[in-house]
Amino acid sequence: MREVTLDNGMRFLILPREGAPTASFVLQFGIGGVHERRGQTGIAHLLEHMLFKGTTTIGTRDLEAELPLFERMDAAHDTILSARAASDSVRVASLLGRIAALEDSARVFVDSNELDRILATAGAQGLNATTTSESTIYFVELPSARAELWFMLEADRLANPVFREFYSERNVVLEERRMRVDSNPGGTLYEQHLAAAFDVHPYGEPVVGHMGDLERMGRDEVRDYYLRYYRPNNAVAAIVGDIDPDRMEDFARRYFGSIPPGDPPPAVTAVEPPQEEERRVEIPWDAEPQLRIGWHVPSALHHDGPVVEVLSTLLTGGRSSRLHRRLVLEERVATSVYSSIGPGRRFPGLLQIDVTPRAPYGPGEVEELVYEEIARLARDGPTPREMERVRNQVAAGGIRRMQSSIGLAFQLAESESLWDDWRETFRGPARLRDITEEDVRRAAEVYLTQANRTVATLRRAAS
Amino acid sequence: MMAGVAVPSVPTSAGGQERPERERIERLSQAPITFDQPDPDRFDVRGVPVLLLEDRDLPLVTVLVGFEGGYGHFPREDYAAATAMPSLLRYGGTSDMDPAAVDAELETYAIQLSFGSGGGAISSTMNTLSEHLEVSMDIWGRMLTDPGFDTDEIDIWRGRQLESVRRRPDDPSTLAFSEFNRLLYGDHPIGWEMDEADLTPEALSRERLERLHRRIVCRDNMLVGVTGDVSWRELRSVMERLLERVPECEAPLPEPPLPDVRREAGVFVIDRKIEQAVVVLAHPTDLPLADDPAYFAATIGNAILGAGGFSSRILSRVRTERGFAYSASSLWTTPRTYPGLLGAVTRTRPETAVSAIEVILETMRELRSQPPTEEEVTTAVDRITNGFVFNFDSPAQIVSRTMFYLAQDLPADWLERYLRGVQAVDARGIGRVFADHLRPDDMTILVVGDAERIGWEALESLGPVSRLDVPEPGPPESGPRGGPVGGVGS
Repeated sequence: MREVTLDNGMRFLILPREGAPTASFVLQFGIGGVHERRGQTGIAHLLEHMLFKGTTTIGTRDLEAELPLFERMDAAHDTILSARAASDSVRVASLLGRIAALEDSARVFVDSNELDRILATAGAQGLNATTTSESTIYFVELPSARAELWFMLEADRLANPVFREFYSERNVVLEERRMRVDSNPGGTLYEQHLAAAFDVHPYGEPVVGHMGDLERMGRDEVRDYYLRYYRPNNAVAAIVGDIDPDRMEDFARRYFGSIPPGDPPPAVTAVEPPQEEERRVEIPWDAEPQLRIGWHVPSALHHDGPVVEVLSTLLTGGRSSRLHRRLVLEERVATSVYSSIGPGRRFPGLLQIDVTPRAPYGPGEVEELVYEEIARLARDGPTPREMERVRNQVAAGGIRRMQSSIGLAFQLAESESLWDDWRETFRGPARLRDITEEDVRRAAEVYLTQANRTVATLRRAAS
Repeated sequence: MMAGVAVPSVPTSAGGQERPERERIERLSQAPITFDQPDPDRFDVRGVPVLLLEDRDLPLVTVLVGFEGGYGHFPREDYAAATAMPSLLRYGGTSDMDPAAVDAELETYAIQLSFGSGGGAISSTMNTLSEHLEVSMDIWGRMLTDPGFDTDEIDIWRGRQLESVRRRPDDPSTLAFSEFNRLLYGDHPIGWEMDEADLTPEALSRERLERLHRRIVCRDNMLVGVTGDVSWRELRSVMERLLERVPECEAPLPEPPLPDVRREAGVFVIDRKIEQAVVVLAHPTDLPLADDPAYFAATIGNAILGAGGFSSRILSRVRTERGFAYSASSLWTTPRTYPGLLGAVTRTRPETAVSAIEVILETMRELRSQPPTEEEVTTAVDRITNGFVFNFDSPAQIVSRTMFYLAQDLPADWLERYLRGVQAVDARGIGRVFADHLRPDDMTILVVGDAERIGWEALESLGPVSRLDVPEPGPPESGPRGGPVGGVGS
């Protein structure tokens, strides 16, 4: 592994591998949904989209002609906010029309999607990005011979982005929200469950953002947020594939070295107070029932962090897991049951269980059985055989993980960005060896209690 | 500070940051790529082709097997059983091991297994540490050739399917695609969707499953591929032992029927009160996959129309320009023995659904009347030629592709022919193929969404509208332990 840290704080992890002459690139910023304040939800995800709109060089036919149009659009947007406040819907509609017309006229100066075209022409695969609670991640694969192109284009968009086509892209994000949440029962269940589970901590806010917050977001606000936090000191790049580390290091220094650092991400100071009693949410929806239960658990950094991960695997990892066996195979009250820990790992989150009840059984019957199994685990703990199974799964997963360069790049970037140590990627098996049956039993007893749980049920409204 | 431009708050250092220039981008984008194109070796064991590509990078071996014989070969009464086959081979145990014992064995050796179906075949992949190759092949071989079809597991699968049928209307996208297939292909396997009537206990009897298993899992239908930390010398005897278990086929598979595809235009609406409408539109075409200029022109043409991501017209018009949708793309399928489909899909809020459809149809008409630009053609072709190296990214991918060509009766050098074919495509050829095959006025259009907000009049401007009613799920049958406990949703 070649580790490079530039003067501006940007970190590169460069891992050469033999194989086909391809290279995988993952660039991770340590800023995501959890850093947003109320009223500004969705800004990180919107920025993720905006970073594909080009720069002072890429994506424009005439930058000088574009810019005055931006000013006029932004002025119209500011007026919309006050028109909305005055409930003047006619004025709002007219202003939205004006913005759309201005974007139409700006389009002649724009070379839309030029970044995508350049990279595709160079043979890139899988150009995309994702935003999570804690990170914004940009990734792509290229033929290794063209690696320098990545450095050039990525450094350019880090230093010189232009947020053109801002208002139409904001509309695209609204459509994405409609697709993932507003017209999707599972997405709505997920969002409302989190909102109920967290009173104070931003984990309870959706990464895609609230509709109202997105509609109010203007270009200046988004640009300012970008300029402050999406800086080299908050960035980790992992490069894995058939590459020469010396050349990659040289490119890193040459292209990224002169970009100045910025502020660290906003501090997340909110601390979720302990939950005192069970919370329940009912979501009426014209669909078959779904159930989600979540308990507050410590972060991955806490000494119980890995214990809770083992707990999650014991409960639903594989066919012989406690809940799958009881609910799906034996009692047949459900067709699937999954657990996960989220929405992020840096702060205390939730151990979440999602169950698809099997008709004619409903969420009520399913809940009863889930709590029975948890009580059993909290009383008797896991068997040595169960613990052995978890360790085997993790160990085998370790070797298999090496099969994919892009997969490895993701994990290295994540470990370095979240935990400041890429070696965390490989520490799983060793960490598990120290966890005992009693540790797991105690975690079930302490964390998976009634008072500590939030239950969300989606089903048809009673007629 | 200029609006909308991110200017660093601190001046850049004297060395400056290297800005991209068109010429440098061009040069870097065309840096030459050389690579090996490894070819698997082929061996024939008891009449079964076995492909092998050695790769000593990690101590793992991957074995892939395919059996021609999906549900499309059989009558409807066998639909559920044929669909269940992969899952039951994995979970149903063997004749001498119950499901839990099989799972325990797989876990002990950390064997990774998957079973699936697709393209009219049943497939399975086994990944194991090379030190466990023999024992892995043994258990996997028994699962494939000597299944137990445990009755509890059959019931669990059945329950899952019944639940899935109940839930199909819950997701507008799933609903839209399944109803569209039904509209276009009718009572033909492509148009089939699992219904309660397909899932009776008789439809999943052990006798039926065993009969189908004998028809499908036999040597004449079989292909094997291997990659990883193993040589032929090391593999040969364990492969022979596996193939000894597989009998000869009693009879060839029945020929799949040819579908009668809907050709009349029409607009169909499934009224659902949801925040985003799903749109699917297409008409049948007769352009099969072949080493033929028209096929390659259609491939590049479809990429330009709407399958090439952001470089394509439909996505850039519907998403980038109008902000109507997050996703919008075209489709052009090219089956070799029956008609394919040419059309588009998108999702957008109800108020813009008809506008989005109009933009798509307009985009199609343009390409019918005027060939694409040289730049569009170059971008689409370059994407394929310059990304060619990614066809050799993993040995498993190479082996799997070679197996696919064998199964489909494609020439072994199909990939090279494909590359040559797309490189020879020009704008005129694309114009011709669209003029010959694309008929925007003949589309069957299906919209799943809030009809009132979409606007009945707006829909009628697209053509005569029919309303499709999707039946509500019926009362569930009683649970496995007797009557419902407390009733649904209690």
